[in-house]
Formats: sequence, structure tokens, C-alpha cells
Amino acid sequence: MLQHIIPATGLLFTLENILWINIGVFIGSVFAAIPGLSVILCVILFLPVTYSMTAIPGMMFLLGIYCAGGYGGSVSAILINTPGTPHAAATMLDGHPLSEKGRTKAALKIALYASTFGGVFSALMLLFLGPQVAKIAAQLGTAEYFMVCVFGLTIIAGVSGKSMIKGLISACLGLLISCVGSDPMTSYDRFTFGISRLYLGLDLAICLIGLFALVEIMAKAERRLDRLNLDTTQIKDDGVITKAEYKRMARPVLISSIIGVLVGIIPGTGASEASWFSYNTAKNMSKYPEEFGHGSVEGVAAAESANNAVTGATLIPLLTLGIPGDGTVAIMLSALMINGLNPGLSLFTTQGDIMYAIMLGLILVNVFMLLQGKFLTTLFAKVVSIPQEILTPIIVIFCFAGAYSVNGNYFDVGVALVFGILSWVLRKLELPPVPILLGLVLGSMTETNFRRALLISNGSPSIFFSSVYCIIFLVLIVAAVGTIVRGKIKERKANPQKED
Amino acid sequence: MKKKILSLALVGAMCVTLLASCGGKKNATWKVTCPWAPSGVAAMVSQQAATKSTEYSDTITLVAEAIKGDAATVNTWVADTKANATELVFVGEGLLSITSILDPGKMQFSYEDFAFVENLYSSIFVLSADAKLNIGSIADLEAYVQAGNEVSVAVNGATGSEAFLAAALFGSMGAGDKLKLTPYQSAAEAAQAVARGETQFAVSHQSQILETFQQNGVTVVCAFDENDIANGPFEGVEGVGQHGYPYFRNRCFVMARAGTDEAKVKELKELYGKILADQEVADWLNGTMLLEVDTMSVEDVEAHIDNVKNIVNEYKDIVAG
Repeated sequence: MLQHIIPATGLLFTLENILWINIGVFIGSVFAAIPGLSVILCVILFLPVTYSMTAIPGMMFLLGIYCAGGYGGSVSAILINTPGTPHAAATMLDGHPLSEKGRTKAALKIALYASTFGGVFSALMLLFLGPQVAKIAAQLGTAEYFMVCVFGLTIIAGVSGKSMIKGLISACLGLLISCVGSDPMTSYDRFTFGISRLYLGLDLAICLIGLFALVEIMAKAERRLDRLNLDTTQIKDDGVITKAEYKRMARPVLISSIIGVLVGIIPGTGASEASWFSYNTAKNMSKYPEEFGHGSVEGVAAAESANNAVTGATLIPLLTLGIPGDGTVAIMLSALMINGLNPGLSLFTTQGDIMYAIMLGLILVNVFMLLQGKFLTTLFAKVVSIPQEILTPIIVIFCFAGAYSVNGNYFDVGVALVFGILSWVLRKLELPPVPILLGLVLGSMTETNFRRALLISNGSPSIFFSSVYCIIFLVLIVAAVGTIVRGKIKERKANPQKED
Repeated sequence: MKKKILSLALVGAMCVTLLASCGGKKNATWKVTCPWAPSGVAAMVSQQAATKSTEYSDTITLVAEAIKGDAATVNTWVADTKANATELVFVGEGLLSITSILDPGKMQFSYEDFAFVENLYSSIFVLSADAKLNIGSIADLEAYVQAGNEVSVAVNGATGSEAFLAAALFGSMGAGDKLKLTPYQSAAEAAQAVARGETQFAVSHQSQILETFQQNGVTVVCAFDENDIANGPFEGVEGVGQHGYPYFRNRCFVMARAGTDEAKVKELKELYGKILADQEVADWLNGTMLLEVDTMSVEDVEAHIDNVKNIVNEYKDIVAG
């Protein structure tokens, strides 16, 4: 590890990287602060920008967006009682009441400090755990990888929203789309319809622009958006946090950071689950549980540290196994692979300096998030009230320019548009888009490993039970599916009218 | 008054710019499209050549661009480019000798659509074996095959150069019917597969097996070349050509559009020649990717394409079933 740290530091501390981190942090904070714009949308829109960059500045830029997105969502949650991002909903419960008590600046400061602590803690975990997990990953063969992929696909249950059936339909659609292009085992064409641009399959970034970004524009066109007017002069408290409050926050922040890391490592879970789980844990452990929901500093700190502690942890399965911890990091996989950085142990050995630079960079991202948060929060707060009439055309331009820039052709712009329309139709049918993303990311990997494993074993399925790792993953799959089904049954019993 | 001075200054600056662009030699920018991943060998070599181009020419500046898409990218390039366009493209034996036979429908071009400029490098493929098999030479390999053992080979892609080299070697040893080609998504994956024991052998570029070899996970059996490897970490590894087995190296040709002015093609070839003669470039190619500088003539290129085509035609039944 040490042999990589010193050269990695040299690679990381360049003017270019620091500039891109700050641009990423700024954009991420702004996007997350505006209700209706998500971090995933921001990462998708700016992904094509990174295609012309080398690995480190590209990843620093995206990580800047990702991490700042964790904090930025809390700004509108505290100020206008509307979470900028879904995972800031838990922050809102105590952040806004605290603001109403005339402690807006203090609430924003608590969110910022807790987010920074969670983020740095998570980055350190990535730095120490990542290489160890990668060593285990290196021992996984084709059959084990198939089991990992199946485990990854159980994520779908977690991101299906209200209806698991609809989630599964979306996932199947994603898996089907991932089949477009040359068959990985025989090179025969599938679903290409003689279109030469489809021989290599559909580019993930282009599909995502349609699925997540263009569909938002279409949805905005359908509804009249209320303008959010915010008078930033109301943020006039001194923002002082007392020593006693710091003391009260210390334990929930640490525990929530640990929860955030643990939740983040598990594919399919994410910042929202981490922040709610941490919020409840903090409430149960607090000496002042009655304050929760009425402006508890512990509540704000717990939720914010947890949702930022997820950021580094989600990268652990991504960098070591190629399994994204959540939807946003799934997109970052493209940025890594375009630079020839394929997940696995070799990433930590042959590309060790770059990898350690990225992992150390995550700490730096959090430091700059703290600095920008300290000095620019008032600006982020003003951004909350930017009219959608201005934002929407900018996003449209980014969508089409981004789709064109990936491969420099108009065909991709058409593909993005088709996916936008498809996503709009799916939205009307209440089919969630995230399972499609997971199907797209994991589809080819699952199919290839399944067929290759059978080729290796001459068609015998016993290969999937042939090693300790296979058995471990099998147990995890059964446990995950069992837990989800049990949860759904409980939910249905509690709410018998609900259709699933 | 201030506005007038500002306007005059602006007009002056524009005139200076115009005059500056009138003098000196005409500098043409040639875009070099690589139809493979930007992180791939060809794209990196092209980028390096582009960086060096301004050092060796006042009239030509090379600009490297990588658009992953293989045949689709070249199809678009051919459709959009006319003779004398300042555009170049990389084409390798994968397209000209393999795809043209196995899947000609994918290609809306042929060799005749291009004017050969230069080949920048060549890479020798090697066959590696699971270290537990103790196969270190062609004689060991022949004995292994003659004993009727199973032969499974990890290759990068189902119908790539590596698959055809494996088919050619084991096919000519009489083990074509026993050969099981296991395709992986990348050469690195194929190399790890053989070390894990998923397959007995793997075919890859030298640089792609180096890490696994250094960890003692594999032995390197032979090189797909005429002679033994002369230098580098695999120095002394036997070339299959000496034993009468078919082989070819991996080459990627820089091409202009057919009909481009011969003098311009010659000028480009000379520029590439100067860049490749640069010791720094040769050291970089050899040191980082175990590649050799390999400038070629049109006749060499055609011979290479024909050689690979012959191998593909002879062994396509083994590879593509």
C-alpha cells in the first residue's frame, strides 16, 4: 500500500485535479440543492465531459459531484422543507425545525460538518478495505462471478419502489436491452437489425441520458412548477454550535458513519436507507429522543453523516468486483472503463498509483466540500430559487451535446431520444427506471459468466456449487431474497388493500 | 475617446492576426481515427505519434482520436471521407482478414477503399499454460497434445486473432477436435483464467500475460512468430514458425482514403518514419507494451493480410463452428 501512496500523492496534487474537484463539488452542490434535480442526473449529464480526460481528473470531477450531492440535498431540506435529493429527507425532519427556531446557519453548519466527517470516514474505509476486498475478488473465477452478479441483481428488489413485480419487469427490460449487439460468446449479432452502430451494443451513458435526463425534461413539460422563492437574508443567525452540542453529536456521527459504510458496501442499498436507519438508531440511542422531529442537532448530524458515509463504501464493490453499490456509481464505471481501468485486483496492482490517487482524492473531495460549504452555502441557497424555465433549456442542451460527444455521431442522439421516450412511457406505466439501469450494467456480465461457466464445466451446473465462495454467495442470495420476500409479506399484511 | 481607442486596438489586433496567418508554411491537421477503445494499445500509440508530430513536421500535425466501434466506426469513416481528405484511420487484420471472411455484412468497405500510409508497431502473441501442467516448450506441448489431453484455451473475444492462432496451432497439431476455446471479455481476464486453472492455456499479447507470469501463475510455452523472442522478459521463448506451425503478429495499419495524392501519402509515411525512428518512442513502445516498431511496405501489408486470411479460411470451422 505504502509503495503506491507516495506516487499517488504526486499524481493527485496537480492544479488540474484540484480544479476539477472544485468544479465537481460546486456543480454537485448546486444540482443537489435544487429540488427535482438529482445527483444521478448530474453525473449522467457530465459523464461525457470526462471522456476526454484521463482517469484521475475524470474521477475526481465525478466524485466531487457525487459527494457534494450528498451534502447539497440538505440545503433545501433545511431552508424550504423540501429535500433536494431523496436521501436528504431524513435531514429535513430536524433540519427545517431547527431553521424555524432561527438557527438556519447552525443547521447548515451541522449538516456540512457531519457530511464531511461521514465522507472522510468512508474514504478511509475505502482506502483500507478496498485492496483487501480486491484480493478476495482476485480469487473469484467465472462461476463465482456469476453468483456475485446474481447477488447484484437482488439489488433490483431494493430499488423497485412500491411494486416488486414492476421492478422485475423493468429489470427484465434492462437485461433484454443489454443483449443488443454481438453475442459475447459467439460474436453473432443479436437485435442489431442490420444497423452497424448496434454491433457493439448500446452505450450505457447514452441510454442513461435518455432514461434519466431527457425523461425529466418531458415530465417537467407536463406539469406546472411552482417557483420556490427563498429570501436568503433570513439566514442571519450567528451559526454558533455550542460545545455541549458538539459533544452530543459526536457519538451519533460516528455510529452513523459506520452504518453508512456498512449499508454502502451492500449492493442495492444506498444513501436513503443509510440516513433513515442512522436517524432511527440515533433517536433510539439519544438521551433526548423527544427532541427528534423538533430540531434535534443529533438528528441532522446522524442523517447527514450517514448519507455521505455511503459515498466511499459504494465504491468498494464497484472497484473490486465491478458491482455498483448504487445507481450513481454504476455510471462512474463507464468513466473508469474508458480509461482502461477494469475492476478487480489488477486495478490495485498494475494501476495501483492511479487507484490510490483516486481513493486519496475522495478525502480531498470532502475537504473541498467543507471549504465550499463554509464559504458558498449562501450562494447554494440562492440557487434553490432559480426558475425551471432557465434550468430546463440548459439541461436539454447538456443532454443532446452529451449524447453526441460520446462517440461524435448523431445516431447516439437518436438513441438517447428513443430511450427518453421509452422512459417516459415506462413512467406512465409506473415502471421504475433504476432496475433498467441495473439490468443494463449487470446483464452482459451475468450472461457471459453464466455461459462461460457452463462451457468450462462442459455443461454441468455443479460448477455453481464448486467452491466456498459460490456457497457463500448462494447463502447471501437466499438470505437477501428471503429478507425481501418476508418484508413484502409483512408490508402486505399491514396494508392489505395495497396491490402489488 | 476611450471607445475609439479600444476599437482601433481591436482592429489592429485583427489585422496582426490576419497577417500572421498569411506568412509561413501551410500547416495541415490530419485527424487519425482509431476505431478501438481509447485505452487500447493502438489508441495510445496513435496519441504518442500525434504528440511527436509537431516535433518532426512543420506542415503536418497529427491529431489522435479514438472512437470505439470497430467496423461501425470504419464504415462511418469510409462513408464520410473522400480522397485527399485530411483524415486517417487505423485498420488491422481483425477487420481486413477475419471479419471480412466471417461476417462480411458488417463491413461496408474493403482494402481497396484505403491507401496504406504506415504500420506503426507489431506485437507478438504468446501461448501461456497453467503452471501446474509444467509445459515450457513446444516439445512439451506436442507431448501433452499427443497424450490426448483436453485442450482448453482462454482467448480475448470469440473470433479474434487470439482464437485463430490457438485454432491454427492446435489444429495443425491434430487436436482441432479436442480444442475448446473459452472467450473472455479482455486479454487480462483470459490471462487470469489460465492462472486460476479455468483453462489450460491462454493466447495473449506478451504485455498482457506479464503480470501473471511474474507471479508464477503460468509458464510461457511459445511465441506466435517465426523466430524465438529476442529480448524482454520472454527472451528465448520459442517461435512456432521454426516448427512449421502457422503464425502472425498483431499489426494495425494507418490508412488514408483511397485516391489520396501519392505525394501526400508519402509525406505522411515519412513523418511516421521519423517519429518511429525516435529512440524515445521505440523505448516507450518496447518498455511499456513490449511492442516493436515495425514499418512496412504495401507489399508487406498485403502479404500479412493474405497470410491471416489463409489461416482464417483454414481454421474457421474450429473457431466459428
